[in-house]
Amino acid sequence: MEKDLNYLINKANILRKHVIEMVARQGKGYVQQGLGASDLFSVLFFDELKNINIVSNINRDRFFLSTAHNSALFHATMAEKGLINIDSLEDYCLDGSPLEINVSERLGPFVEATCGSLGQGLSVAIGMALSAKRRKLKSRFYVILGDGELQEGQTWEAILSASSWKMDNLCLVVDYNNMQVEGSVDQVMSLEPLIDKFLSFGWNTISCNGNKITELLDSFNKARNCSNRPSVIIAKTLVGKGVDFLEGQLSHNLTFPQEIAKKALISLENFYE
Amino acid sequence: MNNATTHLADFTEGVNKDHIPKYYGEALCNLASSDESVVALCADVAPPTESDLFKKIFPDRFYMTGIAEANTIGLASGMARMGDIPFVHSFCVFITRRAFDQIAMQIAYPKTNVKLIGFLPGITTALGISHQAIDDIALMRALPNMCVIEPSGPEQIDSVINQIYKFNGPVYVRQNRANRFYDKNELKDFEIGKCYVEKEGKDIAIFSCGLMVGESLKAAKLLNEEGINAYVINVSTIKPLKDPLICDIVNECKYFITAENHSVIGGLGDAIASFLNENKVQYFHSKVGLNDIFSEGASTDYLMKKYQMNFESIYKTSIDLIK
Repeated sequence: MEKDLNYLINKANILRKHVIEMVARQGKGYVQQGLGASDLFSVLFFDELKNINIVSNINRDRFFLSTAHNSALFHATMAEKGLINIDSLEDYCLDGSPLEINVSERLGPFVEATCGSLGQGLSVAIGMALSAKRRKLKSRFYVILGDGELQEGQTWEAILSASSWKMDNLCLVVDYNNMQVEGSVDQVMSLEPLIDKFLSFGWNTISCNGNKITELLDSFNKARNCSNRPSVIIAKTLVGKGVDFLEGQLSHNLTFPQEIAKKALISLENFYE
Repeated sequence: MNNATTHLADFTEGVNKDHIPKYYGEALCNLASSDESVVALCADVAPPTESDLFKKIFPDRFYMTGIAEANTIGLASGMARMGDIPFVHSFCVFITRRAFDQIAMQIAYPKTNVKLIGFLPGITTALGISHQAIDDIALMRALPNMCVIEPSGPEQIDSVINQIYKFNGPVYVRQNRANRFYDKNELKDFEIGKCYVEKEGKDIAIFSCGLMVGESLKAAKLLNEEGINAYVINVSTIKPLKDPLICDIVNECKYFITAENHSVIGGLGDAIASFLNENKVQYFHSKVGLNDIFSEGASTDYLMKKYQMNFESIYKTSIDLIK
């Protein structure tokens, strides 16, 4: 277990480095969100998701990034999983590259849907999960939804339907970083009490620190072992996590010049020591 | 018990009160019986979309998705991505206008094999402007990869359903339900992209779709009495619009009318005009349709007359154009 934990912490660190380097290269991309969700991606892709990189396996688990703008982190993760060439990360946000600023299915069949128009990913995942249930497939379906996305009415249509159909092959993760374009989610349009909302909609509702690997592992375990209900993990994440001067800085479209990136990489090294 | 059921019958189902067959619903069930990947979704309107037949025969492949069209479109996209062939049922207005972004992102862009099946096209509902789809063709036409079909009536629907099933990609079908019985010998063929000459002519051409094909045939009779020999062409595929027959007929007649149960903006009339422009065909053209105005809740006959969309209007518009 100790070894696994170090492995996942190390993976999160590698993902954070990629995010910083990728965003700094073109000066485009979403750095705060990527740093905030790196622990979550590490646990999901390097522990939880089964057969995710064998796209020919119909029983593989599926992953949806409804917050398609968290693309530096997503592409870095795909490269670390061997689904795209690691060298292609240098093309991130370059004209003509399939590594777009909002993740697109141009990238490959492991992008299960093109999201980015917020609030849509969960519906598509439920559709796939329904089909999988009818076909008696073993796949589980994982969706990362942004907290701000919960302001979209469609997400609540989907949340209502998933519990109505007892979708226990579905695991929703709310990346609760409390940040949207206009500032903090609390101030723009508060979601609270969010746990109560999901409970009242009939979901297996789990809350955790989304930057703590052990809590995330425990949460996914609880979700996997729940039957007859869909599960939601409300993962509280800290934007900019791992870079001391970026932590908690609410900036959806942070500009990220090279010199700041250099400082950030140094700060990141200190964080992991 | 029977009396109570009769008393509580659904007035929106009206057309079926004389036990007229559900031609669409039966065609879909026939298809589903030979292919298990055919599934149906319905946003709370199973009887008036005839998907209640599917619900009864294939309950494990029928998904009642509630009054939530945006979610419904996403669900259908997900199912198609797993290899299902989802037929999604609602009224035309809700399945297109209400969930437009979802259709663009989850159906049109990824070319998922989803069939959007809409009922109550244009002004053919007494339920008022909320239920009248006057811009659905325009919306669906504007989406890349989307195929847009309006059969002339139940006589074409069986063929339409079989053809769109064979076509691997997104399709939108707008249709009216039958209000009478159809004999087997009335059934008509349909191929995606093909136009059908319902009546030969030479002086003017009337291109129409849906119930306007019937109105156009009536108008052609009136024109005939004036010595004007009008073509009537059933353009059941509005997109892709590519049949060279359209160019040939307009080259011959020079004058043509388009008649559609839809706004005159963005529908059949505009589609045919731009197709002819691309092919450098010269013409004189007038449109019959809802003239950039919202309608109201009333009977179809009343609305067709008031908003100048019935056979008399097609006739008058034809005379005006030629003179």
